[in-house]
Amino acid sequence: MSTLTTGETASPPTRRAAARRIAWARIGAYVLLSLFAIVYVGPLMMLVITSLKSMPEFMKSATALPTSLRFENFVEAWEKANFLRYLTNTLIYTVSATAIYVVTAVFVAFPISRGYVRGAGWLLTLYIIALFLPVALIPQFQLMLNLGLYNNPVGYVMLFLVNPIGIVILVNYIKTLPLELDEAAAMDGCGYLRFVTSIVFPLIQPAIATIAVLHAIGIWNELILPTIYLTNKDYYPITRGMIVFQGVYGSNWPTLAAAVLIMTLPMLVLFLVLQRYIVSGLTAGAVKG
Amino acid sequence: MNNYHFGRGWARLAPYLLLLPGFLFYLVIMLGPAIATGFYSFTDASGIQGAKVNWIGLENYREFLFMGQASRDNYAALVRTLIFCFFVTTIQFSLGLLLALLVNQRLRGVNIFRTIFFMPVILGAVIQGLIWSLFLYPLGGPLATILGLFGIRSEFLGGQPAEAMAWVIFVQIWANLGITMMIFIAGLQTIPGDLYESARIDGATGWQAFRNVTWPLLTPSVNTNLLLNIIGSLQAWQLFLVLIGYRNGTQVLGYLIFAQGFGQTSGSVTSAFRQGYAAAASIVLFFLVLVIGLPVQYFLQQRERRILG
Amino acid sequence: MVNQRSTLFGALLALVLLLSACGASSPTAPAAQAPGTAAPAGAAPVTLRVLVHQNPPMVEFMEQFNQRFQATYPNVKVDMTVVNANELSTVTQTRLTANDVDVIDIFGFSNQAQPYMKNVTPPNWQTLIEAGLLLDLTDQPFVKNYDPAAIADAGTYNGKVYQVNLGRVSYSGIYYNKDLFAANNVAVPTTWSELVAACATFKAAGIECMTAGGKDGWPIFVGAYGLIGAMYPDQAGLVEGLWTGSIAWNDAKALDMWSKMQIYARDMMERGASGIAGDAAPGRFASGAVAMFPGGTWYASAIEAAEPDFEWGYIPFPGSDNPDENKYLFGKYDQGWAIAANTPNKEAALAYLAAFSDPANYQAFINAVGFIPTQPGATLDTRIGAAVAPYLANFRVGYEQYWVAPKGAGEYANPYASYFQPFGTYNDVQTLADKVQADLQSGLDANQ
Repeated sequence: MSTLTTGETASPPTRRAAARRIAWARIGAYVLLSLFAIVYVGPLMMLVITSLKSMPEFMKSATALPTSLRFENFVEAWEKANFLRYLTNTLIYTVSATAIYVVTAVFVAFPISRGYVRGAGWLLTLYIIALFLPVALIPQFQLMLNLGLYNNPVGYVMLFLVNPIGIVILVNYIKTLPLELDEAAAMDGCGYLRFVTSIVFPLIQPAIATIAVLHAIGIWNELILPTIYLTNKDYYPITRGMIVFQGVYGSNWPTLAAAVLIMTLPMLVLFLVLQRYIVSGLTAGAVKG
Repeated sequence: MNNYHFGRGWARLAPYLLLLPGFLFYLVIMLGPAIATGFYSFTDASGIQGAKVNWIGLENYREFLFMGQASRDNYAALVRTLIFCFFVTTIQFSLGLLLALLVNQRLRGVNIFRTIFFMPVILGAVIQGLIWSLFLYPLGGPLATILGLFGIRSEFLGGQPAEAMAWVIFVQIWANLGITMMIFIAGLQTIPGDLYESARIDGATGWQAFRNVTWPLLTPSVNTNLLLNIIGSLQAWQLFLVLIGYRNGTQVLGYLIFAQGFGQTSGSVTSAFRQGYAAAASIVLFFLVLVIGLPVQYFLQQRERRILG
Repeated sequence: MVNQRSTLFGALLALVLLLSACGASSPTAPAAQAPGTAAPAGAAPVTLRVLVHQNPPMVEFMEQFNQRFQATYPNVKVDMTVVNANELSTVTQTRLTANDVDVIDIFGFSNQAQPYMKNVTPPNWQTLIEAGLLLDLTDQPFVKNYDPAAIADAGTYNGKVYQVNLGRVSYSGIYYNKDLFAANNVAVPTTWSELVAACATFKAAGIECMTAGGKDGWPIFVGAYGLIGAMYPDQAGLVEGLWTGSIAWNDAKALDMWSKMQIYARDMMERGASGIAGDAAPGRFASGAVAMFPGGTWYASAIEAAEPDFEWGYIPFPGSDNPDENKYLFGKYDQGWAIAANTPNKEAALAYLAAFSDPANYQAFINAVGFIPTQPGATLDTRIGAAVAPYLANFRVGYEQYWVAPKGAGEYANPYASYFQPFGTYNDVQTLADKVQADLQSGLDANQ
């Protein structure tokens, strides 16, 4: 696939040939992407279609197109699920947990990746083993209870300060930063802390943006942990607020779908914003000069 | 250990001190409870505070691994888990790489494509399951209608175990492809453009450029994705819960453990809690993942050292 | 770069402050009150914490009941939490452990370990009681409002009462479409052969015979519970027989049951049922597409909500060719109330249950939820109530509420019609029966 080249600075005699080659490949790329996109957009449309139906309409046929667009579902979802209050809560939990996590994660991943701490290899193995660990719901609950962090927003946030997936991503990504960078910075009189915060953080923006998005989404969509840990309704995140649409033998699917769409909007916005950082790729020019 | 350039004496402690908060969180929030699970596995704990807890040694393990037909069912689930892992990992890895390559070019509208492919991740497992349950509705759902045009009739998720599992594999890949893609995209960013220039000037074809420039320099992302894919698919069970439910012949280990620990194996809601037994089962799964994951990680590290030096 | 860092830390600081402010201003759960200092319900302000599972008509009723209760007892504020049914056990456990709940919604006591069962784990509720987490209600006056049989069957352990059960549901009946039956000249079946014939008539007329919410798995085999009931009217005895070996899932009687289950799964139930979600099934039936719908009495309100003018009836599943054996309804005890033993708000909790058990309030509850009542004076005035009324004297607790599987038993050790194709993988009666018995036997042998 010659489209991997990043420029079209071919020499004049071959430019036309090169242009033809690239045009085919471009079309091919679009076709392929569009095929994949259909497989994605098609099912996602199910959610949108469902959110615009009325309940009896949905019960009759879950998959037919709605006869009229019932936007009231969204209004109903917003009001019944107490969205404003719960959205605020979720925002606070997500932003604080993700921010603290990202900062601490870089300070863990960097020395491991560089080997600046003794036993870096063992530490990495420990984090990788953490990926395999079973979900310890009840022991974790008992620990939090004994620490007095039950039914407490601070305790709830604490549950989300660890994510070994992020460490793995960061460690591997930091490897692409040349070692000479560290040496050069130290020779310029840069201390470790300042080096990491001023130079490393910006250079690994793609990785940071990636783990921030993944982590934030995990917290945002979490349902079982708030059910157990946050029993005071003032602390509820929006996933708890959606229970009003879920029945025993049936849920109010259209309103639930509308609620889901409202709920995922902030995460979608976050992703769109952070996409820019994920593809910013600054290291390519880092070592020049 | 690399040479540390940022100071000596007290200043040498900086990395350790700054690493400490993150590491402490990990110890307390993750490792501690996991070790407690290990202890639980040797007891008959129900998980209920104040109930009597007896030390029963390896009895839970014996029950999970060697007792009656149930153990044979567990091994069948183990095999299914490995099959699931294999298919999901190979396909998700390849497609993720393909998509990342496609989307990494200067085409108009790549932002939109990237977002579309990442949407399932944003929505989460329950919604992913809901969407596909609707889409795969056998009685007139979209896919049923399309296949109907070709005269094909299928029960999809309600069909025979092999078919149901194939669909779960499909949805699992569909759901997580975005993550694999994003990690590859981030990795592709680290490859300097001038390397491609030099390759082209040397007359390399697209495939050769990929093999000699892209693939080696993508090694860190390749490692990340392989590891996360393998581990993730070995432990996955949420989509099974949402798409199929507890059906004989389709369970994977992760689901079995969840179901047995929280009494979800039949329609009854008052079945027993068996935290001790569930703990033992999850430790078994942990060892399975360990036995596969650690060698994979070791092999990947060695390969990285060979390629990138 | 320095600006980046300081804004980051500044943001963190602000968030931490915001969080602690949030934590301080919201009221914390009154677990801080010393247990035992039970304030009389008419004095100091009390927050009564109630935990229920999601069931929209019930939740709606509870919200109104809570308003009325708060009006009667102005110092009590009722804080009700709703969780999904499959999370109820977990959350009950965690909240009892944290002493963060006063009144809990708990399902009728069932699946108790019997003396002939070896090496089985006691059910969850029993462990809760033995851990001292449920309050003994034996001498409470409101207990007498309930049918003694219901209290004994669903709320008693070791001679003490720990739960007042609020109602029963039946799961072994069939809803039938009166209009379709009339239009096709089909009489309501009272025997198995009549049921088979009725299905054949419908299918010949191009109408699907039965539907169920097969996607959720259990609705298909629960729909056939009536078949088990007809063959084995003494379900407690069935369970004992299976454990002691006097009954096997591949003996002659069981083979008869399995044959009928195969006919049910293969010929009666519509093929697409495996794709129908549990909550879509009532709608499908109500739309008139299917003649019959084997299911529990809990679907009645959903059917009525889907099509209020739809004419339907409910009969026991006729699994035998002897009409007398088809007059039992099998089911279970559903929701009940219990009180946390360590609650600091004992008086308020008892007052809450007493108010709920008041016959007028209880009747309103039954009308809202549609359970078969457990109070002698209450009546079920709905259509489903009228339909099941003739069979109420023959209500029996079903197999599912007695059965405890031996450890090590295989996954097929159950009488589930869904093992047959097209829902499962088996299409031969003898093969399946042998497999089921073998799976069960494996567990029995492992615990000798």
